[in-house]
Amino acid sequence: MRVSRGAAIQLVLLALVAGGITTAVALFPRWLPLEASKQAHRIDFVIWYVTIICIVIYAIVVGLLSYSVLHFRAAPDDESDGPPTHGSTRLEFAWTAIPFLIVTSIAIVCAIVLARNDSAGATPLHVDVTAQQFAWSFKYPESNSVTSTTLRLPVGRTTVLDMTSLDVIHAFFVPEFRQNEDVVPGTTTHLVVTPTRIGTYPLICNELCGLGHTTMRSTVVVMSQADFDTWVKSQGKATATGGATGGKAVFVNNGCIACHTLKAAGATGKIGPDLDNLPSYAAHFHQPLDVFIRTQVTHPDTFHQPGFPTGVMPHTFAALPKAQLDALIQFLIASSKGGK
Amino acid sequence: MTEVTHATGHHEAEHAAPPQGWHRWTAGGWLRALWMAPLFAGIGLGIVLFFRWLGHWHPLFEWNTIVVVAFLTALPLGFLAGIGAFDYWVRYALGAPTQPEDHSGHGARSWKDYFRVNTDHKVIGIQYLSTVFVFFIVGGLLAMLVRGELARPGLQYTDAQGFNGLFTLHATLMIFLFIIPAFAGIANYVVPLMLGAPDMAFPRLNALSFWLLPIAGLILVGSFFAPGGPPAAGWTGYASLSTHQPMGTLFFNMAVQWAGASSIMTALNFLVTIITMRAPGMTFWRMPLLVWANFTTSLLVVIATPFIAGSQFFVMFDRILHTHFFDPHHGGNVIAYQHIFWFYSHPAVYIMILPGFGIISEVISVFARKPIFGYRLMALSLLAILVLGFSVWAHHMFVSGMASYLRVPMMITTLLIAVPTGVKVFNWLATLWEGRIHLQTPMLWALGFISTFVIGGLSGVYLGAVPIDIHMSDTYFIVAHIHYVLFGGAFFTIMAGIYFWFPKMTGRMYNETLGKWHFWLTFVAFNLTFFPMHLIGTQGMPRRVADYAPKFADWNFFISVCSFALGASVIIFFYNIIHSWRYGPLAGDNPWRSLTLEWQVTSPPPVFNFDEIPQVVGNPYEYGVPGARHALLNGARTHELEEVGH
Repeated sequence: MRVSRGAAIQLVLLALVAGGITTAVALFPRWLPLEASKQAHRIDFVIWYVTIICIVIYAIVVGLLSYSVLHFRAAPDDESDGPPTHGSTRLEFAWTAIPFLIVTSIAIVCAIVLARNDSAGATPLHVDVTAQQFAWSFKYPESNSVTSTTLRLPVGRTTVLDMTSLDVIHAFFVPEFRQNEDVVPGTTTHLVVTPTRIGTYPLICNELCGLGHTTMRSTVVVMSQADFDTWVKSQGKATATGGATGGKAVFVNNGCIACHTLKAAGATGKIGPDLDNLPSYAAHFHQPLDVFIRTQVTHPDTFHQPGFPTGVMPHTFAALPKAQLDALIQFLIASSKGGK
Repeated sequence: MTEVTHATGHHEAEHAAPPQGWHRWTAGGWLRALWMAPLFAGIGLGIVLFFRWLGHWHPLFEWNTIVVVAFLTALPLGFLAGIGAFDYWVRYALGAPTQPEDHSGHGARSWKDYFRVNTDHKVIGIQYLSTVFVFFIVGGLLAMLVRGELARPGLQYTDAQGFNGLFTLHATLMIFLFIIPAFAGIANYVVPLMLGAPDMAFPRLNALSFWLLPIAGLILVGSFFAPGGPPAAGWTGYASLSTHQPMGTLFFNMAVQWAGASSIMTALNFLVTIITMRAPGMTFWRMPLLVWANFTTSLLVVIATPFIAGSQFFVMFDRILHTHFFDPHHGGNVIAYQHIFWFYSHPAVYIMILPGFGIISEVISVFARKPIFGYRLMALSLLAILVLGFSVWAHHMFVSGMASYLRVPMMITTLLIAVPTGVKVFNWLATLWEGRIHLQTPMLWALGFISTFVIGGLSGVYLGAVPIDIHMSDTYFIVAHIHYVLFGGAFFTIMAGIYFWFPKMTGRMYNETLGKWHFWLTFVAFNLTFFPMHLIGTQGMPRRVADYAPKFADWNFFISVCSFALGASVIIFFYNIIHSWRYGPLAGDNPWRSLTLEWQVTSPPPVFNFDEIPQVVGNPYEYGVPGARHALLNGARTHELEEVGH
């Protein structure tokens, strides 16, 4: 394979055009979301490292391909054959060895970044993350086990999320953190995040978890350490209050709002039955209201509400502490009666 | 057309006296299937009810079990027995006198012969290809419904569960009922011819493997009528979501068994055929690369497919036998499902692309009029992908919560696969260099394939790199990647293969202008549909959602519009193929001036392919080598070949 000087120049020009267009595509739209964690910064470095390599390879391939089509195209009536080149040990060695070295360099960079991103340091903040169809809840074991349905994190402090699921597999994904990990029933998975930017970011369930998957969202609020401390204190007080507000907190914290409508809790979910109509449902199945509510919370699908699929509501609420369960049921009775 | 006399003779005799009266209901065929299928279903139902009654289990009519045993297992078996797929073996097993093989079930003389159990590999190839395109249309329409729903944020016409069903069945049909069997169909037609063999090694097994396929497809399409709707846990069917879904998931579990059994039988058949039925002189180093590709693919299928069968059985058992394989509250492990599933489904990625590599090698060599550059390295790189392909499955699980030390070794093996794949791409480019390139439709698809598949391969490098994958997992970047390798990859190669061998299969030529229109419309619409998905995925749009953040609305609308153009491009293909099959100009034996054996016989080939088994004397791609020959055929054909050689 001899390549003349003119051909080489044309080939390089074609590759430069292809590389230029690809570079423009890489630079012009904003590809990456905001960078809001230390881990994101390192991951973005890997993304750009791989992108540069890919642009060069793609430019070479497209350059060769377009040059061949432009220069070696035969006339339709040309019945001749090309030169019988069978191969070249030198070339084949080159395009085995060079890609090998390139991917090795990528693997090394990745392994280093991975090790750094996984290291949480000596004193990280631990947050327990619980996922269930179709809601998130967060508990701060170092702060009197305060619970919340949005994740609040102090800026600049490395946090380890200890995550588990009550039913099927979910995934914790915050694009601005570039962090993503499945939340698995029966085991605890971990994610390290060091937020670097105060703000509010979407938290997305990123593993298909059933019909409410699309709606299983929450938010992450990154705040200053002072604001975070104030928030933790205020939450501590709210947990102490009981009665209907306590039942409402159970309702909200356990994700009922994701699927059900209930005016008293400000819930507008459409996946499960409208809980403002509980008295009429109970009457339909000839059950006393309190018995009906308790049965359906602890053993869903005992009475099947027409128009809604079975097997959707989690069976986990039977395991709630008795006080919470009772508060929840009292809240549902009171608010559904009030709603009618 | 050359025909083997005793076969033709018998066939005419049979036509003179087809089964009369009630014999029509007992001879293997559609009439017998009509009563045997419901009979077997009834027996299945009886078995379930008998044991439930015996064990005092309530309720007596437990529909999950009844559906699996009676309708998804016994009924298809009854259908297969009815059409006569088992007749020979049953007679043999019962000790009845074996009928001497009269080849009456071999070859096609009329369109009716395509609708019965037929042992001719060429008929079976056409049966495969026709069937897979039916399911391709269904899967494609589902994709259009998915894109329609996603054209705007919010829910348009589906609810969340309905949407999950749409994309689950789209992927399942396209993978198990289109790409994998489409390659099996092309290989069924072409491989025995390329080897110089009269047929596959096990023609009856070949017929059975085909008839399992429509069963799998009909079960999947039938799942739309299951209570609770079609399977909706994604084509990956992750436990423990899949063990807690409506009944439709059982249809998915069983359809995978039927399609998998079909795959395994075909693969065994290819392996034995390729190992034992090569014509004299056809050494492994003289086999065309399509044969090499199907050899490695068949090894992958035989070794890996039992794993997906196992994973789906476990999910089904958790549901109907109340086992706890994937129930973490009773000692089960949900991550185990993913390990078993991906131990098949990653090699399956290569099952869906290696045969395509083979097709591209054939097409590029013929249309560049040059020997394949680095033939031996091309074959060895297939084997390298085969071996490495079994050591990378956990790269689908970087964020699954599996043992975290597994990530780095799996990343290294994953990235290493880029090396043999890169070798193939560069060898194709070197084959083009200084060639005499003819840009007919098959070549356009082949060159289009290289340009799109390289994008799919490079996005695979992003996903193989763990830190990047952590961000990209389960976003639209994955959707873009999989469509660049399966649409820009597998589908483009299937198209190259169909246009390339269409003249051989039908004896007629397709319309070149329409073929080019089809390519360019598909190529442009494909890139406009799927390339922007890289962008919205990187920006953080998750996949498998019916609704999305308003900031992604513009791109999604654009993608949906382009996807409809992509869908419309298929209409040109179907018109071209169907019209040309009937009215196209006669193609002649060897319109592409190819050297491989399938082009040295008539179009379509005679029933037993070769009047006399050819003698292979050289390599298959010796374009431009003066006096080189691939094979010697009897009589006049040897003479023709000499002319081509000079």
